[in-house]
Amino acid sequence: MSSETQKILTTDGIPLEVSLKKAERKNKIKAFLLVAPLLLFILITYIYPIGSMFTRSVDDTMVTNMLPKTFKSMEKWDGQELPPEEVFEAFYLDFRNLVDERREGKLSTQLNYTKNGFKSIIKKLRRKSKSFEEGNYKEQIMSVHKRWANVEYWQAIKRRAPAYTGQKYLKGLDMYKNDKGEIVNVAEDRRIHRKLWLRTIEVALFVTIFCFLMAYPIAHLLATLPMKYSNLLMICVLLPFWTSLLVRTASWMILLQQQGIVNDFFVFIGLVANDARPEMMYNKTGTYVAMTQILLPFMVLPLYSVMKTISPSLMRAGKSLGGTPFTSFWKIYFPLTIPGIGAGCLLVFILAIGYYITPALVGGASGTLISNQIAFHMKATLDWSFASAMGLMLLTGVMAIYWVYNKIVGIDNIKLG
Amino acid sequence: MKTISKLLLAITFAISVTTSAFAVTVVSWGGSYTESQKLGYGDPTAKATGIEINWVDYSGGLSEIKAQKEAGAITWDIIDVYAMDTITGCDEGLFVEFDFDKDFPAAPDGTKASKDFFAPMPSKCAVGNILYSWNYAYNTETVKGTPKTIKDFFNTKKFPGKRAIYKGALTNLEIALAADGIKAGKGGAKIYKALDTEKGVQRAMDKIKSLCTDPNGGCVFWSAGAQPPELLVSGEVVMATGWNGRFFNAQMEGAPIKQVWDGQGLDYEYFVQVKGGPNDANGKALKALAMMTNTEMLAGSAKYIAYAPYRISSIAIMEAGEPWFKDGKTNMVPQMPTAPANTKNYFLVDPIYWADNGTELGEKWEAMKAGL
Repeated sequence: MSSETQKILTTDGIPLEVSLKKAERKNKIKAFLLVAPLLLFILITYIYPIGSMFTRSVDDTMVTNMLPKTFKSMEKWDGQELPPEEVFEAFYLDFRNLVDERREGKLSTQLNYTKNGFKSIIKKLRRKSKSFEEGNYKEQIMSVHKRWANVEYWQAIKRRAPAYTGQKYLKGLDMYKNDKGEIVNVAEDRRIHRKLWLRTIEVALFVTIFCFLMAYPIAHLLATLPMKYSNLLMICVLLPFWTSLLVRTASWMILLQQQGIVNDFFVFIGLVANDARPEMMYNKTGTYVAMTQILLPFMVLPLYSVMKTISPSLMRAGKSLGGTPFTSFWKIYFPLTIPGIGAGCLLVFILAIGYYITPALVGGASGTLISNQIAFHMKATLDWSFASAMGLMLLTGVMAIYWVYNKIVGIDNIKLG
Repeated sequence: MKTISKLLLAITFAISVTTSAFAVTVVSWGGSYTESQKLGYGDPTAKATGIEINWVDYSGGLSEIKAQKEAGAITWDIIDVYAMDTITGCDEGLFVEFDFDKDFPAAPDGTKASKDFFAPMPSKCAVGNILYSWNYAYNTETVKGTPKTIKDFFNTKKFPGKRAIYKGALTNLEIALAADGIKAGKGGAKIYKALDTEKGVQRAMDKIKSLCTDPNGGCVFWSAGAQPPELLVSGEVVMATGWNGRFFNAQMEGAPIKQVWDGQGLDYEYFVQVKGGPNDANGKALKALAMMTNTEMLAGSAKYIAYAPYRISSIAIMEAGEPWFKDGKTNMVPQMPTAPANTKNYFLVDPIYWADNGTELGEKWEAMKAGL
């Protein structure tokens, strides 16, 4: 009785608490509906593709389902010497089914990813298997091509048995799981991915450092010069930003090659001899120069936007308190620009790590980066699961850098503009 | 006013429907190559059959068409692809399998289509289009003497200076072995037999490595077809491997370069028809394709570019019509990679070999390059 009297009622007799909750819920739904398109957008364009990339990189059910009998019969095979007749027979039966469904081509593509050389022997097997006699399939299959009598190819088939596998990730690190379940390195003359990962990180790191060293003074000038000049300078920064990437890369090639304009000039002023022109293109120097110039605006703009907000009176105050120009810069100005530095460096590093056209054109023998490899598997071999795995590895790397940055500097300390 | 806008809307809709649903979309590499296809056989086919042909550029590879198929919205009908892609795409079930003699017309003298092609098709889904050459050229101003053979390309003592070679392993391994003394054999069979062994691959890699690390030599790796003539003209390199059509164009523009055909690799471009493409069921895509690849039409493209028509019978038409080049004064038959004078020592780039071994060789190649 007493509690009921204490309850405040609205004019229509509903308790105020309930009425408020109702109104609040309405507002919440409204707010959610306002965000919903964005949420949906992120789900569809970001979360879903990354999720499907992940499933694609580990899902190997296609091959598992293509050769069910073979994999079952292989369970008893130790994988050391050529498999027994029953494995060959099971493989033959599976293969006949695939040929009937015209899916043996897909199988050849898939097996070729695991070990090169399957394409042609499967084509040959399809032709020859039409006239196979019943029984003794081991002999018949082995006589089709010498590779069918090579145990390595049967081991490769066995490696495809699990429906879900992390093999593609191991491959991205030049490793594989052998028949004993040990993780081992691939043959030495084929170890390339680890080199490419290191090279990619190295290029991205140096380009970020060079960009920072060049962009800092430019951004400072932009922020402190009178409007009249800074506008002109801004256009100079932005103009190349609007020029096609390929045009800029090609111009660097014309400038920096051994018979190029810069070298011609060096020879003209007598800096170098005509027959000892330095190589500035088709090596890492070329990559660094071209990529730094291309990515420079991404460093200048965040730095500029931060520097613009720093009041010049702060530096004056520092000096008036007795600091040398360097001390006041180092103690006052520099710390204030850290949000811009963080944003610029992250932006340039992330962009640089995915670059591949420019290095391919100007980098010479060192011009292949990990993204070239991803593109190669996307376009040429159609091994999308391997491309997905490498893409995710790249993404993880970027996330790791983001995490480290967050730990050291703090992500709230970032300012893009 | 309202009726006019409605009418306009209806017309735009009708036009968009006609262009998207009825025109046959042919996808190719763009630039002067697509131009030669469009002028050489695209436009004449469209005129003769009344089928509108819509040319679209791409940068190679099968990722776009695979993505279109996975999304269930195929917009391409015919694609101009490398031999290796015809194999992969056919295996993946992306392309239509042909019945050559039924689907494609015979030559004027009655030779069946399947017998009129320069080499057998790499897969059931491919129909030949052109043959091009991976040969080499040199700058006549910076090279003293006349390189004549593929051995000269690797001879840095006699012809010092940098070389430009393709960035990938494709054809580089073959020419390395040819220059190292392996006789090509019929269509390069002996080269590929040697490359089928680890030892042969190693030998080829070593040959390239010694050229690139030679202080008198050195390598520049090219990735785009326009680069080799440019590198030659700018004096950056003294010799460059490349595609003969690009060298020919540069020569026509007056560049001081000369082509060497010894040890050339003959390679192909093919057309494939997309399974389930917008004009697959109605038969228009196949009809246009059959017309575009007949004897007369294929000869037409050689008017605009120095690539050889895939059909043997097309050469006779060109010979009868010399000077065949669009400028009206250049004989085209001697410029063809298939001309007898140019095929004294050559190899046919083997798509099956590269489909089999491409990935692993690519890894070995990159590992070799990383050690340069």
